[in-house]
Amino acid sequence: MKMGFEIHIQLNTQQKLFCGCNPGEIDTKTVSFGRKLRVSSSEMGEIDPAAAFEIKKGRSITYVSGDRTSCLVEADEEPPHNPNSEAIKSAIIISNLFSAGIVDEIHFMRKIVVDGSNTSGFQRTAIVGMDGRFVYVENVIGISTICLEEDAGRLVEKGENGPVYNLDRLGVPLLEITTEPVEADAATGEKIAAGIGRTLKLTGLFARGLGTIRQDVNVSVGNYGVVEVKGVQKLEQIRKVLEFEEKRQNWLVEVSRILNERKIREADFDAEIVNLTDLLRASNSQTIQRLLSDQNALALKAPGFSGLFAKEPVPDSRLGLDLADLCKLFGFKGIVHSDEISKYGIENQILNDMSRRLDLHENDGFILIFGDGERTSRCLEMARLRLKQSLNGPPSETRMATDKGATRFLRPRPGASRMYPETDIITILVSDEMKASYRVEMKSWESAVDDIADKYNIPHQVAEQLLDSDYLEWFTEAAVTFKSIPSTVIASVVLQTFEELRKDGIQANKVALFDILNLVSKGSIAKEAIPDVLRESLSQAISVESVIKRRGLSSISQEELKKIVASILKDSRRENVQKEKIYGVIMGRVMKQVRGKIDGMLVDQEVKRQIEEEFRSN
Amino acid sequence: MVQQIKPGQFVQLEYNGRLLEGLVMPRSLYEDEKHITLKLKNGYNIGLDSGKVRLVKVVEYETPAQPIEEKSYNEIGNGPRVLIMGTGGTIASKVDYRTGAVKPAFSAKEIVDMVPEIGNIASISIKTIMNELSENMKPENWSVMSNEVYKAFNSGYRGIVIAHGTDTMHYSASAVSFAIENPPGPVVFVGSQRSSDRPSSDSAINLQGAVTFAAKSNSSGVFVAMHAGLDDNLVAVHRGTRVRKNHTSRRDAFESVNDSPFAYIDIEKGTVKQENETTPQGKIKLMPNFLAKASIFKFHPGISESLANAVFGGDLLSIIIEGTGLGHVSREVFPHIRSAITEGKFVGMTSQCIWGSVGMTVYETGRDLMAMGVVPLGDMLSETALVKSMWALGNGLDLGSVMPLNLRGEIATRRPVEK
Repeated sequence: MKMGFEIHIQLNTQQKLFCGCNPGEIDTKTVSFGRKLRVSSSEMGEIDPAAAFEIKKGRSITYVSGDRTSCLVEADEEPPHNPNSEAIKSAIIISNLFSAGIVDEIHFMRKIVVDGSNTSGFQRTAIVGMDGRFVYVENVIGISTICLEEDAGRLVEKGENGPVYNLDRLGVPLLEITTEPVEADAATGEKIAAGIGRTLKLTGLFARGLGTIRQDVNVSVGNYGVVEVKGVQKLEQIRKVLEFEEKRQNWLVEVSRILNERKIREADFDAEIVNLTDLLRASNSQTIQRLLSDQNALALKAPGFSGLFAKEPVPDSRLGLDLADLCKLFGFKGIVHSDEISKYGIENQILNDMSRRLDLHENDGFILIFGDGERTSRCLEMARLRLKQSLNGPPSETRMATDKGATRFLRPRPGASRMYPETDIITILVSDEMKASYRVEMKSWESAVDDIADKYNIPHQVAEQLLDSDYLEWFTEAAVTFKSIPSTVIASVVLQTFEELRKDGIQANKVALFDILNLVSKGSIAKEAIPDVLRESLSQAISVESVIKRRGLSSISQEELKKIVASILKDSRRENVQKEKIYGVIMGRVMKQVRGKIDGMLVDQEVKRQIEEEFRSN
Repeated sequence: MVQQIKPGQFVQLEYNGRLLEGLVMPRSLYEDEKHITLKLKNGYNIGLDSGKVRLVKVVEYETPAQPIEEKSYNEIGNGPRVLIMGTGGTIASKVDYRTGAVKPAFSAKEIVDMVPEIGNIASISIKTIMNELSENMKPENWSVMSNEVYKAFNSGYRGIVIAHGTDTMHYSASAVSFAIENPPGPVVFVGSQRSSDRPSSDSAINLQGAVTFAAKSNSSGVFVAMHAGLDDNLVAVHRGTRVRKNHTSRRDAFESVNDSPFAYIDIEKGTVKQENETTPQGKIKLMPNFLAKASIFKFHPGISESLANAVFGGDLLSIIIEGTGLGHVSREVFPHIRSAITEGKFVGMTSQCIWGSVGMTVYETGRDLMAMGVVPLGDMLSETALVKSMWALGNGLDLGSVMPLNLRGEIATRRPVEK
C-alpha cells in the first residue's frame, strides 16, 4: 500500500503563535459567546454537501474563553500580534534538520475552515521549508513541506444547537511535517512515523503530553483514492490503522469486483427515493414503531448490495457502518439496511411489499432512514453517491482513527483548501544568517536512551519507553523531586499505570502523580497502593488524599506488621498446611490485610522470618 | 534574468537546486522589490530572493482580470424602500482566492447576494457616494452625505443606511445629525470591526441590524448600528450624537455615552426593541455646511504654553476644551483663554473623563473659567461638541446661544444610575 504522513507537533514556546497567552496556565474563570461564520457558497471551495448544509443552516458556534489561556486575539476581537519569534526559529531549525529548502520570506496564509474550530473562520499557516528528506535506515523519505501553523479550538461538545469550542488550544504553535507518499507495509510505516517522531522529540523543541503530537495518515491501495485518516495520537495506533485500512480498502476493491460480476452499472443507482411510511406503520414491530415515531420512512435502492453491507473484512469495518456514519453528518442516529432488516421483526408480507415498491431483484439491497424535510433527501442523495462510488473501489475520504486502531468514516475528502494571504501579518524575512545559524546539535536516539538509563539508573528498555512516552518530563521531574523512591517505580507508574488508565479512558494528571509520590516518599502509603489509588482518584476526580482516607489506607508500622503476621500464623496452625505451601497461604492472607499500607518487600521478609522461626521452634 | 519574472506568470523556477512551480503574485506596497511572491500549487504563498532564483520557463501568462465597476441602482428585495449608501470601505466584499484581493460589492444585486437576509427585510437600493477611508473624512464629506440623505428622503426612501469606516464614524453620524433637521425616518450608520473578507466578519450582522432598523423603526434621527456585545446576534442602535468608538478592535467598540443605546435589534428574530420614540417636529430641513475653524484642546499636566498660544491665539473660531474632571484647566492656560474670548472666539468646556457632565460651579477654577466666558457644555461628548461648532459656524449660527442647547439629543439633563 501507499502511505504518507502529516505530523502535527506542538512547539513548547512560552507563548502562543499570535498573542501573549501561555497555553500551559490554568484558567480561573471563563466567559462564553456565540458566533456565526459566513462563507458564501462561491468562497467555500470544494467542501462536501454535509458541511455546506451545516453552513446554510446558519448554525451558531459557542466559544468558551478562559481568563489565562486565551485573550481578545483568540476571540477574534483583536488582530493577531507578530508571530512568536521562538516558533519561527524552531520551524527553521526543523527545516534544517530535514535538509529542506527554506523560504526567504514567510507568508502566513488564511486557510478557510468551516467547522467553527477557528473563531476567524480560517487557520493561519505558512510554509517555512520544503522539499526536504528524512533518512531512515537505507530509505530516504521525502519531506514535501514544513509548515508553521496555529492549532484550532478544542471541541468540548457537539451540542444539538451547534458545537462548543474552548479557546485554550486555539493559536498554540504547531509544526506540520508532510511526507511524500511511500510504498511500504504497515510495520515499515510505523517505523517511519516513529523515526520522524523520535527525531523531532530529541530536538527538545516540542511539548510532550497527550495530544501534543497528532498524525494524519494517508493510505491508498493500488491506484484507488487516497484515504486520509485523522486523529492518530499514539504511535502504536499507526500500525493497526495501516493494517486495518489495507484490509478495508482491499475489501472495497473486492466489492467493486462483486458489483461488476453482478452486472451493476452506474445507471442502476438512479432509482427514485421511495416512501415506505404507510407500509411500516402497519407493522407490529415495536422497534420499527419507535424509530418511525411521527416521521417518514424513506428508502433508497442499493443495486447489487445484498450481503455487502454487513460483511466485516476486519472487526468494526462494515459498509453499513460507513453509511450510518455518513447519515450522522445530517443529524441521523443511524440507518437500517437490507442485510439486517430481518432483525427488526417486520412481518414477511410487509417485507415483500417493501421489496416490490423498491423494485428489488436478486442481489439488490436498500437503505432506510427515518426523518423529514430537506436533510432527509440531502442525506439520501449523499448516500446514493457513496453507493455509486463503490463501483470504482475505495473512494477518497477522510476517516477518524479510533483508540483501538480502527477507522470510522468522517466526511468525503475535501478538495483543495481555499487559501488567501493573511493581510494582518507582515511577511517575515528569513536571512541567510538565520538559515545558517538556526540549527540544533542532535544526539543519536541510542545515546539519548543511554543518558536517561544512566542518569536515573533504569534499564535501557525502560529508558527507551520513557523517551517515546508522553510523560518523560513528568518522570524526570518526579525522579529528581522524590529521590527516596526508586526511579523504576516512578517509571512503572507513568508507563504502565497511566497506559492502563488511558485504555479505560481515564486521563493522567500531574498533580495526582506528584501527590501520591509525595505520600509514598513520606512512607504514608506503600508503593503497591499507587495503581488502585490513582485509578480511583482520577476516575472519580477526587484528590489522592480523599481516596486514602476513604480506603483507610494510612500506613502501618513494622511493629504492627509483626503482630498481624504472628496472629495470622497462629490462626493457621490448626489447618495443618503443608510446609511447602505455607509461605504462599500466609503471604496471601497477610497481604489481604496490609496491601498498600506497607512495602511488600518488608511483608515478604517478615513472613519468611516468622515461618522459619515457627518451624525451627517446632 | 530577474526582470523576466512578472506577476501573473505561471512559472517554473530553479531555487537552490530545487525546481519550483507556481504563479507569480503581485507584491504589496509594503513589501520590498528584492523578493518575488510565488503562489504554489498547494495554495501557499512563499517569498523568494529574486537574486537567487533562475527562471526555467514561463508556463503560461494570465492576463489580469479587469476590475468590474458595475453600478446598479436597481432595487432588490421585498419590503420598505431602504437606500444603502457607500462612502468607502467595504460594506460587503468577497475574496479573490487566486490573488487574495478583496473585491467590494458595488451593486444592489451583489450586496444582496452576499447578505441575502437583507433582501427579506427591505427593498434595497445602493449608491456609492464617495470613496474615502474613514480617517480621511473631512467636513466637506459630511456635507456630501447630508445632501445625499436629504435627496434620498425626498425621493421616497423610508430609511437610509450609510456604510462607513469605523474610525471616524461617530463624527460623521454627529455631523449628519445636525445637518438634517426632522428627518422623516431613520438614518443609520454602519461599519465593521472585522473586515468582510473573513468568515467571522461582523459586517453582515451589523448590516442586517442597520437595515432592520431603517426598515422597521419609526424614529426620526441619525443613528449608529453596531454589535452590542461579542455575540453574533444582538445589534445596538446608538444615537449619532451620543456614540463613541471606545475600543480599537472589539466588535462592540461603539457605545452610547451617558445614555443607554436607543434600540436593540435581535437579528435572529428580526425584532426592534426600543423604549423611546423620536418623531419629526416639522418638515425636513437641510443645513449641510461645515466650517472647519474649530478644534479640540485636550488639557494635560505640563501643557506647553506655546501650544496653548497656538490654539487660542490662532485662526480658530471655536475651541472645545477637554478639561480635567468637572471641567478644569491649570492657571497657566487662563490668559490664553481670556484673550481668545475677548477676541470673540467661542470657548466651550467638555470633560476628558468621557462619562459624566461638566460641573463648573463646584470648584473655584470652574467658576473662574465661567467668569471668563467659557461655556459649560454639560455631558456633551467633546467630539460631538467639535462637530456641532463646525456646523454652527458653517451655517452662521451664534455659538454662544446654540452650543449649550440640546438640539439633537446631544445634551441630557439627567443621567440614569445604570450605565
